[in-house]
Amino acid sequence: ANTPAVSWRMTHIATKPEPARVITGKVTDESGAALAGVTVTIKGTTTAVGTSSNGTFRIEVPNEQAILVFSFVGFASTEVAVSGQSVINVSLKGDSKALNEIVVVGYGTQKRASVTGAVSSVNSKTISALPVGGVDQALQGRVSGLTVTNNGSPGSAPIVQIRGVSSIGYGADPLYIIDGFPGSIGSLDPRDIQSVDVLKDASAAAIYGSRATNGVIIITTKKGSTGKIQVGFDSYAGVQKVTKTYDLLNTNQYLQYERALNGAAGIGLPPRLQPANFNLPIYAGSSQTFAQTNTDWQDAYFKNGVLQQHTVSVSGGNENSRIFTSAGYFDQDGITVGTNFSRKNFRINSDHNINKFITIGETFNTSVTRQRFGIPPGNRTPITNVIRMQPYLPVYNPNNMGGFFGPQSSFDGADPVNPVEQALINENRNLGVGIRGNAYLTVKFTPWLKFNSTYGIDYGTNRQEQYTPIYNDGGTSSSPLASITENTNSGTTTLYTQQLTFDHTFAAKHHVSAIAVYEVQTNRGDSQNSFGNQNNNTIRTLHNATNITTDYTYTTNVLHSLVGRVGYDFEGKYLVSGSIRRDGLSVWAPGHKYENFPAASVGWKVDQESFMKGIKSISEFKLRAGYGVTGINGTVLGNYPYVSNVSAGGTTYPFGNLATGVNSGNGSFYSNLSNYFLHWEKTKSTNIGFDLGLFQNAFTLSAEVYKRKTDGLILTVPAPPSQGVGAPIANVGSMQNKGFELTAGYHKTSGEFRYDITGVFGLSRNKVLSLTGAANGTITAGGDADFGGGGPITNTSVGQPIQYFYGYVVEGIFQNAADVSGHATQTGAAPGDLKFKDVNKDGVIDANDRVNLGSYLPKFTYSLNYTASYKNFDLALFFQGVYGNKIFNAEKIIAEGMSRLFNSDVNVLRAWTPTNTNTDIPRAISGDPNSNVRPSSRWVESGSYLRLKNLQLGYNLPQTWLRSSTNNLVSKVRIYVSSTNLFTITKYTGLDPEVGSKNGTLTNGIDYGQYPTPRVFQAGLQATF
Amino acid sequence: NYYKTAAQLKAGVNAIYAVMHQNNLVSREWYYLHDTRSDEVAPGGGQLEAPRLQLINNTDDPTNSVMNSVWNGWYTVIFRANVVTDNASNVTDDPADAKKSVGEAKFLRAWAYFDLVSMWGGVPLVTSVPKNPTDFKPRADVAAVYAQIIQDLTDAAAVLPGKSATDKGRATAAAANAMLGRVLMQQGDYAGAKAALLKIPTSGADGYSLTPRYLDNFEIATEFNQESIFEVVFVDKGDNGYNWGGESATEAQSTVRNQEYCPVAWRNLIPSNKYLNEFESTATGAAKTDPRFSYSVYQSGDVYNNGASVLTDADQNGNSSVLHGVTKKISWRKFMIIYQESASTASFHPGGNNQRIIRYSEVLLNLAECANETGDIAGAVNYLNMIRARADVAMPSYPTAQYPVGSKADVTKAIMHEKMVELGDEELRNIDILRWRKKGYFTTEPIANFKAGRDELLPIPQAELDNNPLVAGHQNPGY
Repeated sequence: ANTPAVSWRMTHIATKPEPARVITGKVTDESGAALAGVTVTIKGTTTAVGTSSNGTFRIEVPNEQAILVFSFVGFASTEVAVSGQSVINVSLKGDSKALNEIVVVGYGTQKRASVTGAVSSVNSKTISALPVGGVDQALQGRVSGLTVTNNGSPGSAPIVQIRGVSSIGYGADPLYIIDGFPGSIGSLDPRDIQSVDVLKDASAAAIYGSRATNGVIIITTKKGSTGKIQVGFDSYAGVQKVTKTYDLLNTNQYLQYERALNGAAGIGLPPRLQPANFNLPIYAGSSQTFAQTNTDWQDAYFKNGVLQQHTVSVSGGNENSRIFTSAGYFDQDGITVGTNFSRKNFRINSDHNINKFITIGETFNTSVTRQRFGIPPGNRTPITNVIRMQPYLPVYNPNNMGGFFGPQSSFDGADPVNPVEQALINENRNLGVGIRGNAYLTVKFTPWLKFNSTYGIDYGTNRQEQYTPIYNDGGTSSSPLASITENTNSGTTTLYTQQLTFDHTFAAKHHVSAIAVYEVQTNRGDSQNSFGNQNNNTIRTLHNATNITTDYTYTTNVLHSLVGRVGYDFEGKYLVSGSIRRDGLSVWAPGHKYENFPAASVGWKVDQESFMKGIKSISEFKLRAGYGVTGINGTVLGNYPYVSNVSAGGTTYPFGNLATGVNSGNGSFYSNLSNYFLHWEKTKSTNIGFDLGLFQNAFTLSAEVYKRKTDGLILTVPAPPSQGVGAPIANVGSMQNKGFELTAGYHKTSGEFRYDITGVFGLSRNKVLSLTGAANGTITAGGDADFGGGGPITNTSVGQPIQYFYGYVVEGIFQNAADVSGHATQTGAAPGDLKFKDVNKDGVIDANDRVNLGSYLPKFTYSLNYTASYKNFDLALFFQGVYGNKIFNAEKIIAEGMSRLFNSDVNVLRAWTPTNTNTDIPRAISGDPNSNVRPSSRWVESGSYLRLKNLQLGYNLPQTWLRSSTNNLVSKVRIYVSSTNLFTITKYTGLDPEVGSKNGTLTNGIDYGQYPTPRVFQAGLQATF
Repeated sequence: NYYKTAAQLKAGVNAIYAVMHQNNLVSREWYYLHDTRSDEVAPGGGQLEAPRLQLINNTDDPTNSVMNSVWNGWYTVIFRANVVTDNASNVTDDPADAKKSVGEAKFLRAWAYFDLVSMWGGVPLVTSVPKNPTDFKPRADVAAVYAQIIQDLTDAAAVLPGKSATDKGRATAAAANAMLGRVLMQQGDYAGAKAALLKIPTSGADGYSLTPRYLDNFEIATEFNQESIFEVVFVDKGDNGYNWGGESATEAQSTVRNQEYCPVAWRNLIPSNKYLNEFESTATGAAKTDPRFSYSVYQSGDVYNNGASVLTDADQNGNSSVLHGVTKKISWRKFMIIYQESASTASFHPGGNNQRIIRYSEVLLNLAECANETGDIAGAVNYLNMIRARADVAMPSYPTAQYPVGSKADVTKAIMHEKMVELGDEELRNIDILRWRKKGYFTTEPIANFKAGRDELLPIPQAELDNNPLVAGHQNPGY
């Protein structure tokens, strides 16, 4: 090949145009800063190079007629004709109008401009803005209609919902498609993600048919780009703190409260509090007495948690092969003792052009996750025990086996569990390993017809370890034997997809695209559970253990699918699309395994009409409408949900005092009836929307209205207990969601000071349309003896939103005996007790007086994202909020309920007494004869909040200085500081208004004392080499 | 495809026993429900949970969780029993064993219905497995429920073996007859009851007699003794485990009774003053203080932990009792395992102590009542004196100065007294009260806060009213 110098000389000397010549140049942004990594392609060929770190490029073109295409993420791609130039300098314009943005729509991509469904996209920068471990957390507030709610300690998945709740019996998790592969996102490093596309409405999502009712989130990981090898380094570290704590009684206040509570009921001083005992040392050898002890249990349980993430990536390639590879490490300590999550992951994605027609490639990700978590004893969360623990007790007692101090139920008159001990003595870990890989082959028969074949495997295993040593805290917690539980669950999913794609424009006007897909997905899950005891604390395996039990099972399912989609547009103006998917899923009852899921949508690009051409201010205007039918992923019901199996040997009875496993006492039973008609839950959805862009898309607006109706809701029909057997799950009931979504933005993309404001607004209304025909068709849930005496906290009934809070209405406090006798008969009431409303006016306060006390569903959700840059500085502000929802503050029952003696909130000192009548806290009386704790409006609070989710300030080191001082090694360095959850504006009195669910559905929005969202301060560094 | 062999049918029977000894029933809620509806217990203090206190105070409503648990538990027993009785005809490989399985299922179903009918009145009578969710059953007449119970127990007694021919813990012919005696008495058929009770053998390999030592009936080492006709089996695996409601072959097999009542544990329920003062005592003019007092309850100063520890007032949380005018802390001893354990161990220990459900001494006391009610006063007194003659009780025979036996009314009083002190806190008293209240045997109502016309029966659980259209609208009076 010619050297540049020769080539130069030749072009000057030669009089005839040479067929090949070299073009050099530099690519900058509008401010003149060099852009590295811009792809420069010769139009119509696969020849491409990338710009170097100083923005320069060099490319050989075949002839003068060649056209160079400059493309770069976030910028409008620009074409420049060579026509005689040998140096081409290009300034790329920032592209916020997203007109040419490519949207991943499932089994293919589309230009944003031609999308007719409701699809929202989130780019990699947004995904990696927050210091969170999971993609789901990163999506909170980013997409209209998508809600994400914190639901536990590090490593616990949040609750993700798209367009509200569409199933009563099953979770609302959307379907995640990662590089074409359905699966879980726990093993993904958010920094590996190129884009996230959320298919919200059925016309878009129905291509995933039977699994798409809860929406589809398509995740595309980064691919290598053509050009010089680039090494990226992205790292941050931060510290997390609890944002709010309770104001609890100290030792002296506790003594005062104990007398008020127990004294009123004629109960004597608990033995510990009697002077002879109270002035004893807290343990042998200590000089401190119980009277002198004042433990702050919140201080002992909450701590500052360190958070860090480090990712190294390498990307690059040439015309023939491109590669992206990365390794990441994420580690998050909890803000409570005994909680932690870490992930290590490694990825390699590559693409190879074998020849003009054939491309192959693969994605491969492997990860190791490790979570330490707390299993609450019974239903009592650790925070419940933090509130309840007596301040006069110490955390530790070095004389006890295990080193902790526990209250003695009888001696202390109360039975909380030492929460620090609970978290540290018991070691609960999830150890996960995931391997997911797929390979594809694309054959391009012609420019308009290609065939794609994909084969993938997703293997994941989780080993749950639970270990409790021999210990004794001298009170409520002890274990005379060490116990070891090892539960291993592994699953293997294989996916085989064959796809034919057609895409052609006839006569420059008629654009037709079509796909046909055949897909088979199989899944096998293996589960092995083992348990045993050791009589020592040194052996932590089941080797020679006693009481050994073990169990092994496996289950399988298969999904067969046929998918077709046809799209047509005329002159880019009129858009029509239709799709159908036929799914066959093994889990449904025989004869009900197959179902069709059709969808159709239309669009009108009004801005392309000739009558619009004159209106310069309108740069984009599109109307869209769609309809589709989707289903709920049947595998959430298990693999054989229609049939009730006999649990052979599933229980036992120790005849002759012989313990389990060695006698003839094993028993078999079944606990549900079978349903041989079980089939899909189906949702029919309609979506109408428009996209508007004004002033060269400086201002953009998208709005959608939708209606979704789900029929054949799968519910466990509430059976009368007298049947003694659970009813089967059955397709009964229907539910509707209606909503409105709005995304509006203003984008200033030129000048030294640039900014972008995007607001997202979502509104959704839920209504249950029908339930089981039997009885009065209500489903109650959430009852718990500790939280309100056991009566249900939520109710689901026809005509109301799902799982509204349910209970009595408080009218005030009885001030005197006449007040009590003048009110409807309320058993156990005395002056100082709560007065409940006689809703049905029958003169008696009873279960029939319970009413709807509000919904956990917000009236609307909103968020505001502001990003700005000035010279080398950048700023991001992200507000997120919900409005109009209620929270059932069950934890307040623990803190202020006063039905039994425990430590409490200082508010209990304001309790009603004959001399303290101007208060909202009822009288203190042990036993609570009036049941002041019952689920009532007393515990229902506003859940509205506005939260500064993220504040970030970044600085890019000057590039010229950087290059000269690193000898061109480092091309880009950005440093930043940020804070997550810096402040929250809310009237909610609990620790955190972001309240998830205790155990599945129908308990959403009940605050049982869950792990609160922490506040994070962090600093980070991003560098490119 | 299952329940086709005798072994599978037996596994079905075992599953009935399993649910019977779980949290909803005998390991916890069942004894709470019986105890809180009797006059033998008082709240131990502020630690007693609200639903239990509601039952003691008669302020319970249809959502009361204790009552709901027992209802649900018994109906699960009934369902599993129905699985066995429905499928028995399919079993051909070992007809004798299948017959025995059916007998056990019927015994357990009868016990379930007896608890239900005596505490709730007429209840849905389900005797076969529901085929689909709309197979609802209305509340049956009380008489129809009794008829079913009597039929089941009669059938069971006919096919079940004696204790020598079956696993320890399985129902026997004696258990069926003893239960039948209870049931018939409750219905007022004393002659029938007597006939059933007399079928219980008193000698030989299958015979029953009183243990010389009263405490043998409440301690671990002496489970399945000569006096024990039916017990619910618990085993302590040594790990402090307790099954709160799980169902697998590896669940803990313990009862939490020790943790609930033990003097150094929660002490949720304590003996009532009425019960404590019922015992004959030299302090109130009796010739001898009844030794069963100190066998049944602990008071401060008593030794425990195999004699190594002395109980103090300060060890016992919560309320005090008043015994013969003296205020002191008194706690249950029956079924507690503190007798062999230190305070720190016993304070949290669920135990493996078997719950004795039917003792031979109850059979004798029931025979006494049958005799008295059928005009055989001397026979009744004779049975009572057999109880008092137990070696380590050795109370003076009736008549005594406090308990003359000159008339049926006298003997009735003696029976009521003797049964209370002999079988205190054995979950029988509340059923006896129902029977005796109807006969007008109480001069004063034994239950505090009792509201006539309401508190004779428990309310039908809300979940049943909500989900059974044939029961909705048919709540018991007063609720």
